[in-house]
Amino acid sequence: MTPATEQSNAYRPDALVVGGGIAGMQSALDLAEQGLKVMLVERGPSIGGHMISLAKVFPTLDCASCITAPKMSASSHHDNIKILVNTEVQGIQTIGGVHHVKLLKKATYVNFDKCIGCRLCEYACDAEYPDPLEEGLGARRAIGVAFTNAIPQKAVLNPELCATCGTCARVCPTDAIEFDQQSETVIVQTDAVIVASGFALNSLNVKPQYNAARSRNIVSALTMERLLAPHGPYGRVLRPSDGKIPSSVAFVQCAGSRDASIGVSYCSRVCCMYAIKQAMLLSGALPIADITIYYMDIRAFGKGYEQFYQNAKAMGVNFVRGKVARIDPVDDGDLSLHVETTEDPENFLQERRHDLVVLAQGMLPEWDMSGTTPVQRAADGFVATPMLTSPTVTTAPGIFVAGVAAGPKDIVDTIAEAGAAAMQVSQYLYQKRSANVTESQSAVLVG
Amino acid sequence: MSDKNDSTKQPGTEDLDLACATPEEEEALLEADPTYLKQRAAVQQHLEQVRLQRSDLPPEVRVGVYICRCGGNISDVVDVERVAKVVGLIPGVVTAKVNTFCCSDPGQQTITSDILEQNLDRVVVASCSPSLHEQTFRGAVSRANMNPYLYEQVNIREQGSWAHRHDPEGATHLAIQMITAAVGKLRYSTPLDQIKLPNHRKALVIGGGIGGMKAAVDMAGRGILVMLVEQSDRLGGRLNERGRVYPSEKMASEFVTELIQNVRANKNIEVLLNSNVTSVNGFIGNFRTVITGPFGPAGATASTDQLVGAIVMATGYRPYVPRDGEFLYREDPCVLTTPEFIQFSQSIDDRTRDMVYRGRTIRSIAFLHCVGSRQLDGVHEPQPDGTLNTYCSRVCCSTILQQALAVRERFPKVRVYDFHRDIRTYGRGEEDYYINASKAGVVFFRFNGEDPIKVERNTKSNGKKSAPLTVTVKDALTWGEELEVPVDMVVLGVGMMPSHIEDLVESIKLSTGEDHFLQEVHPKLRPVEVAVNGVLLAGTAQGPMNIQETLNAAAAAAVKAASMFAKDVVELNPFVAVVDASRCTGEAICVTQCDYEGALKMVEVEVDGRMVQRAEVNAGLCSGCGACVPVCPTRALDVDGWRLDQYNAMVDGLVTEAPSAQCGVPELVHLG
Repeated sequence: MTPATEQSNAYRPDALVVGGGIAGMQSALDLAEQGLKVMLVERGPSIGGHMISLAKVFPTLDCASCITAPKMSASSHHDNIKILVNTEVQGIQTIGGVHHVKLLKKATYVNFDKCIGCRLCEYACDAEYPDPLEEGLGARRAIGVAFTNAIPQKAVLNPELCATCGTCARVCPTDAIEFDQQSETVIVQTDAVIVASGFALNSLNVKPQYNAARSRNIVSALTMERLLAPHGPYGRVLRPSDGKIPSSVAFVQCAGSRDASIGVSYCSRVCCMYAIKQAMLLSGALPIADITIYYMDIRAFGKGYEQFYQNAKAMGVNFVRGKVARIDPVDDGDLSLHVETTEDPENFLQERRHDLVVLAQGMLPEWDMSGTTPVQRAADGFVATPMLTSPTVTTAPGIFVAGVAAGPKDIVDTIAEAGAAAMQVSQYLYQKRSANVTESQSAVLVG
Repeated sequence: MSDKNDSTKQPGTEDLDLACATPEEEEALLEADPTYLKQRAAVQQHLEQVRLQRSDLPPEVRVGVYICRCGGNISDVVDVERVAKVVGLIPGVVTAKVNTFCCSDPGQQTITSDILEQNLDRVVVASCSPSLHEQTFRGAVSRANMNPYLYEQVNIREQGSWAHRHDPEGATHLAIQMITAAVGKLRYSTPLDQIKLPNHRKALVIGGGIGGMKAAVDMAGRGILVMLVEQSDRLGGRLNERGRVYPSEKMASEFVTELIQNVRANKNIEVLLNSNVTSVNGFIGNFRTVITGPFGPAGATASTDQLVGAIVMATGYRPYVPRDGEFLYREDPCVLTTPEFIQFSQSIDDRTRDMVYRGRTIRSIAFLHCVGSRQLDGVHEPQPDGTLNTYCSRVCCSTILQQALAVRERFPKVRVYDFHRDIRTYGRGEEDYYINASKAGVVFFRFNGEDPIKVERNTKSNGKKSAPLTVTVKDALTWGEELEVPVDMVVLGVGMMPSHIEDLVESIKLSTGEDHFLQEVHPKLRPVEVAVNGVLLAGTAQGPMNIQETLNAAAAAAVKAASMFAKDVVELNPFVAVVDASRCTGEAICVTQCDYEGALKMVEVEVDGRMVQRAEVNAGLCSGCGACVPVCPTRALDVDGWRLDQYNAMVDGLVTEAPSAQCGVPELVHLG
């Protein structure tokens, strides 16, 4: 790896946004619309974030792509936004109010200036592996464009899976494949940073008593999103172990949140609503299937959410208040749930059989920036926001936060917070610069 | 006439054949629809009639039609491939393509490259509602140097596949008809320019609570002039009535003080107390508002006119007030709402070791959740206007648990009971209140919405020491056992209702949702904007929110204002009335019909050496409603973008059955 190069003459954005998900894109757009230059840095091969994997979104049941894809497009076409993908933020050093952001531009083995996104390399490649965007249900090639609507439409080669057969280089019409490409570290200077690094989910196996490791039919909610998406891996809802159409689906809520035993005592805030949404979509896709949501409290708190919940009840989704204690794989790939319910005093410890189980995993922060940046985290692991009346201000001057990086949030609240962070940044820059102008003017006057 | 050899055509599976049906295809069409031949004859006859009647033949156009699958939202119902095939046969349609997501970047690129490579001069996208993505596609065609008003969006999702889920054939047919109408309209569309008007870089914030102050401070921090109007005599709003707030456990006054200091310190903000916005006219960038307040000599009531570019609605909420007798409210002095309890709690002397209310030592309190929220039809009594508060008020659970915990910590002898349906401590740091309240000995009861709690006077009175009230609950945690809990005090966890801003709603023409809160355009695409451009939402005027959410919403509103004020002019859609001066005879009937003050007026002009009256439109004030068009005896008025010849073409398109049969029609076009 080459040493970090200080790019003094390089592009110097007014603000740098870490993370190209919905929060990062919204912040970038709200800054760019004010005439500020923004660099949007995304670790993966495309902007879009988690939202591009979702089927539909609550409570409007809009398709997630119909919200995300246009924001991706608007970001990529905006004159004031420069997008860097396959780039990781390795650290931020603030010197004299200027943030020096150390970026690792990971080798993609494809020259982006030459690649025209024709995907011929992808079609020719023989090395297949489970597609992370399909939660492993579909396959992708060692080289290729991340997904159909990816931005940018550029192929990226995964060196760990590449068989180095050279086929891609032979079929590429523009000679864009560069096997000798190196990762590069650059430092970008900017006056403001927005951390919009989003979330990860805790493991399906975080509660060993749920035995997710022993059954492919215990799936994550993101897998269910892909199963429900009309453009998902199967185009229909099939259970992973044997392709059977499920007839009895269980949602186990709080399977990674509100649980001090696994170190996540907070509420992940979105799981109730996405479970209800998935249950509704499932009743559309599988009209005869039984759908049960096992919950502690249904937290349908947002605008239109309670009505959404009541609609799901009216549609026949079963809501069972009870914490699932254990899940055991049984015959035929089915699962037996041991649950304590609050419905029947004679029979409150029940065993219930389902053929597909969705676990509501907890939301964790995706990026730990403490140590490599001046930003501090709170006890819950998310970015600390100490300012009373400015919830997007972090402990580090000139660095702001938006979205789930500052705690679990749904899309609606994330988008509002992303706008708020952009406001805070633009105000910060405006004040910083008008102060500078005054200083230099007074310097002139004094001189 | 065949497009088959058309060299401009792009290869690709999604580019459907546009040629006239081959004999085989005709056979297939006939098989799919036995009335095909009849339809074809009818269409040919109809077109022949049109040809004979019309002296003004439709202009020759090159239209691209893009049909969106919407990832299955449309294509699961509408046979989009067939739609493309059929509409591809409409004269003037050069290409008709299907795309999984037209709004995605590759989808938009298909359109822009087709415009450039195939010299398209008109574009139709058949997808979702224009309210969702008309702007998106207008932007896309503009990037290919096409006038954005030569773009038409056809809604085959909300009005098609979603509405006619169980009638795929009908939905497919409807899609074809609607696209045909749009293509017809586009034949008569002309390039239009956006109306550019001055942008008054000043914002009016209505409401001086934390939402209003935050929006004002943020905008002013960007150099925008702000007028902050508050109806009461002080800033701070509802937070002035609060003590410690969750999750920071800071005093509410700290938030208020910090914001007031920021407001007062910023010379860009002018604060008007005891004032009301009494009238709003105009449009984005140019709202003419009237504010009434103590501006006269010696504080006499007077009005001031203010021209502002943006209006921020920070009108907040009011707590739900229980009906007389609802849980004995106003019938028993020991039944309080949460705001009343908070006031009482704050009034207790710090040195007091007992909780004493109106001379009575309180030894037990019941907190009731969901009072005036999550109401169910047939269970709860509606408001006087017949509506129910079906929504969750979002903040009551954490407020109650914070208060319950505080009581247990301060007065450990007081027993605290919590009656809830669900505990919704969803926010950052809020779950801790639930955990800590449990640890501190708060006793929880849970009830189903269908089995509401009852609060009654304790009839089994046995002396002075007995609790005066009884809460009866069918407790789900003990499998539905009916329990009677005697208590000294009941606290009703009241929800939020929108402030009484009916006059403003009427005056600004705002829309409200079923919950009566102000309605945003779209919760994710335009969450702080309303249908009236230039009006923004900051906080609980939009729906229940906690403090942090309110601050974020206010800042998000401020950023929209900052973006809007980044331009010197406001750009409006050019769909306004236009006067053909050569036809206008100055009868002024149009002026009497116009609902928008100042939009239409008569002006004196010179014609052939004589001064005459002629109608003139103020494009900024005209809403494009079209009320003036039909009343004009000389047809001198029309609305740009929605001209009568466009309507005629749309109607023709809608009644033209199955354009699949129009094989002979291209010649018709060439007759022009």
